[in-house]
Amino acid sequence: MFLTRTLPTLLAFAFGAVAVLIYYIPHGVAQEIERELSLWLRILYAFAYFLGLYSILNLHWTRIQRRQGGWAYSGVAIASFLVMFLFVVYNDGAGPFAPQASAGGYQWMFTYIHVACSSTMFSMLAFYIASAAYRTFRARSSDAAILLVAAIILMVGRVPIGHAISDFFPEAVAWLMEVPNLAAKRGIILGVSLGAIATSLRIIFGIERSYLGGGDE
Amino acid sequence: MERLLNIDRRIIFAFVFVGVAVPLLIDFSFPIKPTEPVQRVYDEFERVASEDDPVVLLAFSYGASTVPEMQPMSLAILRHAFSRDIKVVAICLWPEAPGLAQAALDQVAGEYGKEYGTDYAFLGYKPGLWAPIINMGQDFHDAWPRDTQGTLVGDIPVTANIRNLNDFNLVFDFAAGDSIEFWWIPFGVEKYKFAFSGGCTAVMAPDLYPFLQSNQLRGMIGGLAGAAEYEKLVEIPGSATAGMRAQSIAHLIIVAFILIGNAAYFASRRRGAA
Repeated sequence: MFLTRTLPTLLAFAFGAVAVLIYYIPHGVAQEIERELSLWLRILYAFAYFLGLYSILNLHWTRIQRRQGGWAYSGVAIASFLVMFLFVVYNDGAGPFAPQASAGGYQWMFTYIHVACSSTMFSMLAFYIASAAYRTFRARSSDAAILLVAAIILMVGRVPIGHAISDFFPEAVAWLMEVPNLAAKRGIILGVSLGAIATSLRIIFGIERSYLGGGDE
Repeated sequence: MERLLNIDRRIIFAFVFVGVAVPLLIDFSFPIKPTEPVQRVYDEFERVASEDDPVVLLAFSYGASTVPEMQPMSLAILRHAFSRDIKVVAICLWPEAPGLAQAALDQVAGEYGKEYGTDYAFLGYKPGLWAPIINMGQDFHDAWPRDTQGTLVGDIPVTANIRNLNDFNLVFDFAAGDSIEFWWIPFGVEKYKFAFSGGCTAVMAPDLYPFLQSNQLRGMIGGLAGAAEYEKLVEIPGSATAGMRAQSIAHLIIVAFILIGNAAYFASRRRGAA
């Protein structure tokens, strides 16, 4: 109980409270503590990559073992990782401890396979957005009609063809972005920030402990 | 009318495909007029160019999936910086970014005959999201002790005299995630008070308008359209300008489908009421 509940709660309180306070204290000692905490954070993030790597490889390996639907794709994912990893270690002949080479197999695969595939996946959104817009973007109510008109003005006015059609479109886009959009976004940011502050205080003071797991708290 | 309402999505896909592919193959152009947020970025770089021994920090915070939007932006900014003899220090806050940043730096430095070390430096990637920003604000050399080739930043002319973020004439972040609003502004700009601008994907741009109005973000380039506007300002048309043809036609096709869908919807509703 002490190791699974009390100690993590105490650590969250100590580090949370200190991190909040030192943000506002310009004194040298506070700055030194902030520097140390930032370095720890960077190291923790680096180790999180190992955790993520283990997690994704374990997930795909389990799918292959159980012959779940689409298990062959899991095999492709693991094989892709291994091939990339081998080329990173080989490092165009320089070995794993030399600075990363700016040419060679890894760079080739990154540029011509990874970048190309990732960009293609992202670009596919245009097709799905077009299809979804056609099916769902209907002026069923006055609110939906306002949203629809704003969206059409934005889609036309944000690209050069809008300028070519009429100066109205870019000017209307500028107004939409700088007045209603800005007001709504500012409200959302304030709301989200207040929520984040409240949640952080609940974690720091041990009121919110669901992040520790266990389920019933 | 029902057939029109339930149109096969492959027909929509075909229209979008043709609307994107054909304008990329045929050479024509639309007039590009820079918007105010993009003009403000340009003006910031011009301000930097007018100062003594100017040096900017470019943070690459995007990955492979957003290359079509972000890489033209990076190239346009680098071309502006190198054409005005502004020195560049590049870092990455996104794990996939080093390969993309290196490619952009190599390409544009080659175009302008810039030398590594004296005109620019590339320091690579550090994990920790906003933590490296806090460290850079305190002590740049402590946060980024070596470049990607293992050279101490104190031994690189362009970084030798940089003590912290305030020593840069401008900091610019290329963001595909929330690095501008959740990393740079709260942990960098608000804490250390340096000049800051950014570029982001089109979908993120509306989120950043409150920061533009408060001047925490001095200028913003939003998406491929913003990159095309910047190419217009620096008078070097690139892939963003070419992409505007396809994006313009694709937007028109989507608008046309939305209008057709609504016309069919109202017609079917009227028929149902009759």
